Amino acid sequence: MGSFLKFFIRYLVGRLVVCFLVIFVGVTITFLIPRLTPGSNPAEIAIRRLQMAGAYLPPESVELMKDALLKLYGLEGSMIEQYFRYWRELLRGNLGPSFASFPTPVISLISRSLPWTVGLLALTAVISWMIGTMLGGIASYKGKGLWVRIFEMFSNAVRPIPYYIFAFTLLVIFAYLLRWFPAGGAFQVGIEPSFSWAFVKSVVRHGFLPALSLIIIGMGAWFLNMRNLVSGVLHEDFVLFAHQMKLKEATILRNYVMKAAMPAQLTGLALQLGTVFSGTIITEIVFSYPGLGTLAFTAIMQSDYNLVMGITLCSIVAVALATLLVDLLLPFVDPRIQYTGGVS
Amino acid sequence: MRRNVWWSALVFLLVIGVAGTVFAQEVLPGVPRSEVIIIEDPSGRSLNPGRFNLWGGGVSSWSTGLQQLCIGTLWYIDPDEGIEGEPWINLLAAEPPIYNEDYTEMTVKLREGIYWSDGVPFTADDVVFTVETLKARPEMTWGAYMQVNVEEVKKVDDYTVVFKLKKPNGRFHTVFTVRWAACYIMPKHIFEKAEDPVAFDFNPPIGTGPYVLKSYDPNGYWFLWELREDWQRSDLGVAYGIKPGPKYVLYKGIPSPEKKVMDQMAHELDIIHDLPPEGAITLYQNNPYCVTWFDGWPWAHPDPTLPSIIMNHEHFPYNLKEVRWALTLAIDIVQVALQAYNGCATISPIHIPPTGLYPEWYFDKIEPWLKEFTLKIDGEDFKPYDPEIPVKIAEAVKYAFGYKVPEDPKEIKKLVGYGWWKYAPDVASKLLEKVGFKRDKNGKWLLPDGKPWKISILCEAATRSVMTRAAAAIAEQWRKFGIDAQIEAVEASMLWTRMNYGEDPDTVYWAWCIETWGGHPDLFWFLESWHSEYYRPTGQPVVAKNPMRYKSEAMDKVIEELRRTDFFKEQEKMIELGLEYVKICVEDMPIIPIFSYNVFTVCDEYYWTGYPTAKNPYTNPVPNWGNTRFMFIKLQPAAERK
Repeated sequence: MGSFLKFFIRYLVGRLVVCFLVIFVGVTITFLIPRLTPGSNPAEIAIRRLQMAGAYLPPESVELMKDALLKLYGLEGSMIEQYFRYWRELLRGNLGPSFASFPTPVISLISRSLPWTVGLLALTAVISWMIGTMLGGIASYKGKGLWVRIFEMFSNAVRPIPYYIFAFTLLVIFAYLLRWFPAGGAFQVGIEPSFSWAFVKSVVRHGFLPALSLIIIGMGAWFLNMRNLVSGVLHEDFVLFAHQMKLKEATILRNYVMKAAMPAQLTGLALQLGTVFSGTIITEIVFSYPGLGTLAFTAIMQSDYNLVMGITLCSIVAVALATLLVDLLLPFVDPRIQYTGGVS
Repeated sequence: MRRNVWWSALVFLLVIGVAGTVFAQEVLPGVPRSEVIIIEDPSGRSLNPGRFNLWGGGVSSWSTGLQQLCIGTLWYIDPDEGIEGEPWINLLAAEPPIYNEDYTEMTVKLREGIYWSDGVPFTADDVVFTVETLKARPEMTWGAYMQVNVEEVKKVDDYTVVFKLKKPNGRFHTVFTVRWAACYIMPKHIFEKAEDPVAFDFNPPIGTGPYVLKSYDPNGYWFLWELREDWQRSDLGVAYGIKPGPKYVLYKGIPSPEKKVMDQMAHELDIIHDLPPEGAITLYQNNPYCVTWFDGWPWAHPDPTLPSIIMNHEHFPYNLKEVRWALTLAIDIVQVALQAYNGCATISPIHIPPTGLYPEWYFDKIEPWLKEFTLKIDGEDFKPYDPEIPVKIAEAVKYAFGYKVPEDPKEIKKLVGYGWWKYAPDVASKLLEKVGFKRDKNGKWLLPDGKPWKISILCEAATRSVMTRAAAAIAEQWRKFGIDAQIEAVEASMLWTRMNYGEDPDTVYWAWCIETWGGHPDLFWFLESWHSEYYRPTGQPVVAKNPMRYKSEAMDKVIEELRRTDFFKEQEKMIELGLEYVKICVEDMPIIPIFSYNVFTVCDEYYWTGYPTAKNPYTNPVPNWGNTRFMFIKLQPAAERK
């Protein structure tokens, strides 16, 4: 145990360095790209947004407004100065103001959307992973019973359907034809967000269809993936040895087969949870559901690069941390993995 | 065809499922559906829904009811006929502005008896405060305009304000005149308490309009407004004395067009802002309660905005008039109208949108001149104008889509506009050859230096499908003519940025830079920035509406004369100057006008009646416009749903 701990600390340091490096490079790139993009001056964009919205700004006032806005947005100084200022503010937890929603801070906009995205996507990712993994493992181990064939057929049938069409079909059937669920939104019009039963009930009801669409699509993929992994494990020596030892089927399945197939599934889950922070734009559009997807999409449409940077930063940090977490968990989950100097 | 099948299948499913099952539901707890009108907010989701400070900026959507129902301003010009048959509307002002002789002073008389929604009287103090606040802060939405124009603003009495201007400006009032939006009046008693008027969110908003904010989605998908109990003391109440029909107004962002159609089929969405033509036509054919601007082909409302092919004159060969004309004559407008709009486009051969009252003011007057207009080609005269094009569009539409179209050419003209330029590739070829262009052995056009002529049409992607489709149709026409033309579909912000900088030498832009009042003949509103004093070279963003970087001494003279005309007393002279402008444009063809931006606003009469239509054009039905405010006093509950 002592040598494992020693190894683990060395391994941890190596992984942490890589993780911070990924975040540093990612932030630097997201800082540079919008600033090097031609025509991305936020003041000009703000004026253009007003003009596109129909407000007429006579010629003489346009340039005066542009100068005033640049000053207001704090975009004076060279790019180097802005870069260091950005890092300083970032380390204080300040992502700056959104230009399109000025002066609202980027962090406020993200924190408004984040709970919906995390609530929906993290929950559905975990549920679909659990169901898909369990059923995939059992199905592959137990052979082709009727229910396995049905589930396999269903998974194969659902997987190639474009998500938009699938989600839309659910919407038409359950929201417009059967009218069992609302057609959109996160909760009913007129209800004030609170911890009341009425609000929670409304949130669950409104979230059901988007969640169902994500779970069904996600579950099928995890099911097929696990089934393939398990079918590879079934013929490993240690599984055959366990059978020879006359261990119980349930023990073999749980401790030998599933455990051996789990690292790949776990890695997949962690990475998927990391990408949760990018949101799912299609789900949000089909179900008029709030989240980071539409926030990011609108930010890009409006060239609101502070907001784009904020969302990208969340995503970079989340993926980097998820990868780190997986790296740290694997030695505990899969005893076959041997670490030497931080390299698996 | 495939698009039609998709829409029809969708509606078929809904008809089966929904027919007979719709009953008066509650849209919000305790409120029957019949008391609420549900209107689409075309912005979709508002990212910053808790901010209502339009003056300070940062408001995500202007189509949430704020400018339509709550805050107001002095005057409105309706793009159609206006609520009492008069497009000019005095709302917070009691009468039109009064200028002194040299236009350095403007006096405004305000309506008496209007109260803010929190019970404070609206007075001259509010107007003075608004202007002074803005003037001190050029970063605010109308701040720079006030700083450039206003020397001093003074209250004479509670209902009279005098503006002293820095220089003569007979158009100063237009900053307070809503076309789509305008500078709205702030409630002084609210904003004076704000430490920073830019940072202040103005939540809840206090307005002079007939509705107050009841609640909104913190996620930005809906905004619910309730009729003021004292609606008689609101601006609409004082101006017209008529109670608005809906007790509640719900503005709802619906990102997917399919959902809009389904919601309206289920009578859960009363006004759709805009749809692709197939969606609107399918609704018209399947929903017996459907109301569109025209009751039948071409359905859509023509906005006073003119999408055009915009070429940067600083790039060769678009500096050559012959090239611009050749490109015009290489477009078969019938095909473009068919492919982009299912034949529902309102075409314009001249540089004015064929909408509102403009046909009478400009098109009727210019058409005889257009018929005689001649291009000199190889010593021969060619008359490019074709007045028969509307009839050709009607025939093509009948053949291609089976829509019912009128037989009378005069009726057709009212629906899809006057004529357009002949499809004359042979003449276009002669024009190009005249300036040194040649064809290669495959018939493709080469520039005078022998290099292949390539054109990329930069257009909007998905957000406005008709625009993408029109660009594709024009590119197809030009390819057929022998130009290597493609489209490049990008998001709106990218299109406008690139157009404003104008740095792509092989690119032309499919967008607009001509927008008019619709209900007033003055063209100064957009034309001012075509004056060479505002010219900005390629690489510098244009300051307003001259992305083609057009310069013309003759045009400068027209603009200068227009600047001297009186907005209220010299309409005839304005029209005369406008006709001069049109003639210069037709000669030079600085941009190629195509058609007005037609909006497929679709209303549902299941719960509400009284929507504006071409037969009763009292206002613009397109719900993101500020002047849809006037629609609410005409809307009444449907008799069977009361």
